[in-house]
Amino acid sequence: MLKIENLSKTYSNGTQALHDVSFEVEEGEFLAVIGLSGSGKSTLLRCINRLIEPTSGKITWNGVDITAASGKDIRKIRRQIGMVFQQFNLVKRSSVNTNVLSGRLGYVPTFPSLFHVFSKEDHQRVTKTLNMVGLADKIDVRADSLSGGQQQRVGIARALMQDPKMILADEPVASLDPVLAHSILKYLEQLNKEFGMTVLCSLHFLDLVHRYATRAIALKDGNLVFQGLPKEIDDVQFKAIYGKDAERIEVI
Amino acid sequence: MNPEVSKKNTSDKLRILLPFLSIFIPGSSQIIVKKTWRGISILIFTSLLGFLVNWSFQNYKIGQVTLFEGASYSWLWIPFLLFYGWNIADAFLLAKNKKSPALIAIIAAALILYVIGWSVTGVKMERLVTRYDDAKVVMKRLFNPDFFTVHDGDKVDICSWDCLWNYMKAKINGTEAPQVTFSQNTGQIFGQKGTITASRWDVLLGKATINQRIPGFETGKLIETIAIGLMATLFSTILAVPVSFLAAHNVMRRVPGGSIIYYISRTLLNIVRAVDTVVWGLIIIVWVGLGSFAGVIALTIHSIAALAKLFSEEIEHIDPGPVEAIEATGGNFFQVIRYGVIPQIIPSFLSYTLLRWDINMRSATVIGFVAGGGIGFFVVETIRMGGYQQYAAALWAVAVVIIIVDYISSRWRFNILKDQPKAVDKIPTWKKIRTILYIVLGIAAFLYCWEITRIDLKKLLDPGPTFGRLLKDFVSIDTTGKVINNIVRELIITTMQALMATTLGGVLAIPFSFLAAKNLTGKSKFSAWIFVITRGVFNVLRSIEALLYVAIFVYWVGIGPYAGMLALSITTFALMGKLFSEAIENIDSGPIEAINATGANKLQSIIYAIVPQIVPPFLSYLIYQWDINIRMATIIGFAGGGGIGLMLSTFFGSLQYHKAGTVILAIVIIVAVMDFTSAKIREKFV
Repeated sequence: MLKIENLSKTYSNGTQALHDVSFEVEEGEFLAVIGLSGSGKSTLLRCINRLIEPTSGKITWNGVDITAASGKDIRKIRRQIGMVFQQFNLVKRSSVNTNVLSGRLGYVPTFPSLFHVFSKEDHQRVTKTLNMVGLADKIDVRADSLSGGQQQRVGIARALMQDPKMILADEPVASLDPVLAHSILKYLEQLNKEFGMTVLCSLHFLDLVHRYATRAIALKDGNLVFQGLPKEIDDVQFKAIYGKDAERIEVI
Repeated sequence: MNPEVSKKNTSDKLRILLPFLSIFIPGSSQIIVKKTWRGISILIFTSLLGFLVNWSFQNYKIGQVTLFEGASYSWLWIPFLLFYGWNIADAFLLAKNKKSPALIAIIAAALILYVIGWSVTGVKMERLVTRYDDAKVVMKRLFNPDFFTVHDGDKVDICSWDCLWNYMKAKINGTEAPQVTFSQNTGQIFGQKGTITASRWDVLLGKATINQRIPGFETGKLIETIAIGLMATLFSTILAVPVSFLAAHNVMRRVPGGSIIYYISRTLLNIVRAVDTVVWGLIIIVWVGLGSFAGVIALTIHSIAALAKLFSEEIEHIDPGPVEAIEATGGNFFQVIRYGVIPQIIPSFLSYTLLRWDINMRSATVIGFVAGGGIGFFVVETIRMGGYQQYAAALWAVAVVIIIVDYISSRWRFNILKDQPKAVDKIPTWKKIRTILYIVLGIAAFLYCWEITRIDLKKLLDPGPTFGRLLKDFVSIDTTGKVINNIVRELIITTMQALMATTLGGVLAIPFSFLAAKNLTGKSKFSAWIFVITRGVFNVLRSIEALLYVAIFVYWVGIGPYAGMLALSITTFALMGKLFSEAIENIDSGPIEAINATGANKLQSIIYAIVPQIVPPFLSYLIYQWDINIRMATIIGFAGGGGIGLMLSTFFGSLQYHKAGTVILAIVIIVAVMDFTSAKIREKFV
């Protein structure tokens, strides 16, 4: 169980990105995080694996205090949490193989990894995960020669290499066409349903939330303004989250 | 029978036999299995390395080891065999459709090249230490330039920083101090009162007769340099525009017979560009004699070629849409150019002109080494007299001017290319007046520059006495064995100088470039200072041409290729440091975040997220620098830096134009070959 208590984050330029946010996520949930751009979704997800240091508050995961972990411990925690990014964050000039293999970096000894030496199991794992995301034939091509949807699947494969118990997805489909959005989210759904991984996914479109999430939270200006089932987001809630000028739009 | 199938059958049989071909002719089987470039480069590299090992052993006994019965061989044949063996292995692996690791080949080739390079450029690392005292002397003088003179009674002395400091202190405290004035040297650099040859304007106004010496303000050598750079830029831009249309394929295609003109002009431009400005200077002084005018012409010629190439590429890349639209309205060839082409190319032309102005200013500082005008001439003179403090003053003055020029040029270029749509409102009156003022000032500056660079178009029609012979001898060049052998030797030295300098300067630049990257230095005060200092050092070192540095190293490690190599390394270090640090600043932080999120540690994140992002730009910049260094190495000899330049100036000095022509041809060939190679490498790896 992931437990977030009174989490706040204020950046050095004074922006308060998160304000006293508390919620819980049960094992095996697909939690959607919604809210406008700049509402603190990215900051929240990044605080969970401490890519961003929270200013105050406490995050515990299965009894381990993430906020208190330091150095080596935080890396041990990170390797159990896969992360998927809006801009995919692949090393563009490296091959798909290298990009996917880099998901193992938290597990392998440092010295061999500096010379791209990985075990046989790791290489087999690459083949397996690439098969899963349907990119087995692209293993040797450069990451930047792939389309956006393919790049995001490589991003998912990289996260899967970590053998994660939880996936943090920061707007994984915001840079993709609506059709591709479904294909990516279906992978996340599969991981959630078949492998029981907890998924925290920030999303823009409400109908994607209805379709995939088991539960949702909403942020507005760094405050938690909603938590509950996706279907509970009615028009009143919607206006509260997105402002009174917002209109619902449908994607395919 | 299906031709596809039969082809496949024969190729299957061939596949087994093919790799054996590479045992006899390296690269041959690679060429046949459609890896043409790989095969050709293996063939060329194998022959080149073999030639170099043999040549260096015959001429310099490089790598000599004595085996049984006194027979001696070069141990460099071992890496050569390794390279050869790799070629065979590569052929066999290729036949099985496998990739072979090129690392062994690269290491073997690099070993051969660097061992030979180290020897022929006369690298003596210990000299940097054993001659440290000389270095200290020269450094002390460099940091105490001769700008001020102190008058202590009848004694006149150079007033360096400590003297100046004492003087300032005395002035502030109001105590008695010896008089300090600008020195004679400063006057020569920036200008001073003296006697001058009457200008044309004085003659026109009836104040003086032609060539009369009258009292006036002597132009400083630095001012003369600025004028040379300005005039050359102006002339070359005006002349390059029409030439560039002749060298633009999309324009010439529309003219009958234009394709032929296109190929001829492109070839000519490439040849002219391959010969450095300073070498052009040597030719031009035979034509119009020593002086600033020769410098202006030399710069202009080289600059026309460089600009016309850039301009024509710009013309080739314009949007064909507007051209099509003007044609559709029934416009003729000239109308299409005027309304479809010119509006599209003006911003980039301006920006290239500004870039060229920067380059021309730098060239103007060294053109005096041969053409006898500007600060370069002054530097030659002061070094000849051992006036290192006077030389230092010139260097610092050049650095300041070039840094300012660099700043203005890049600032203007940035503004031009920002390409903001401007409102076409009514222009306010004060802006109109300002424009008129600028035009008047521009004309005045132009006339002043015309005067001080002593431009005399009549001289162009009245070439020097040996110019005719030069032209004749350049056509019938000397290709006797002895000359060719000497040229080959000097060419190898020159190329090796460029190789060693690019490596040394590039490797040194890497650690420093991290200190000069804003995104890495962090926010603390201390690291902010490190950033400012490193960038500052890069900028100051970069502002001075390699040719001007040679004198320092000649003093330090002695005359010869080693000194030239070190001078080239300094400019390489400075430019690469700047470009590397900018490349580091431009890396994408996303992948770093992603790698960190996998639980990787700092080292792993550097190797997996940062290194892959900076290696390609670093390589690309090194190749770019390599092109520059090859050109620079051909002239570094003029200042005592060894290589082919010394040979060239000797041949010119002794009027052996037959041989000089051969050297220039050799330079053109080597520069063209290296340009081609580096372009290919860049295509392949970057």
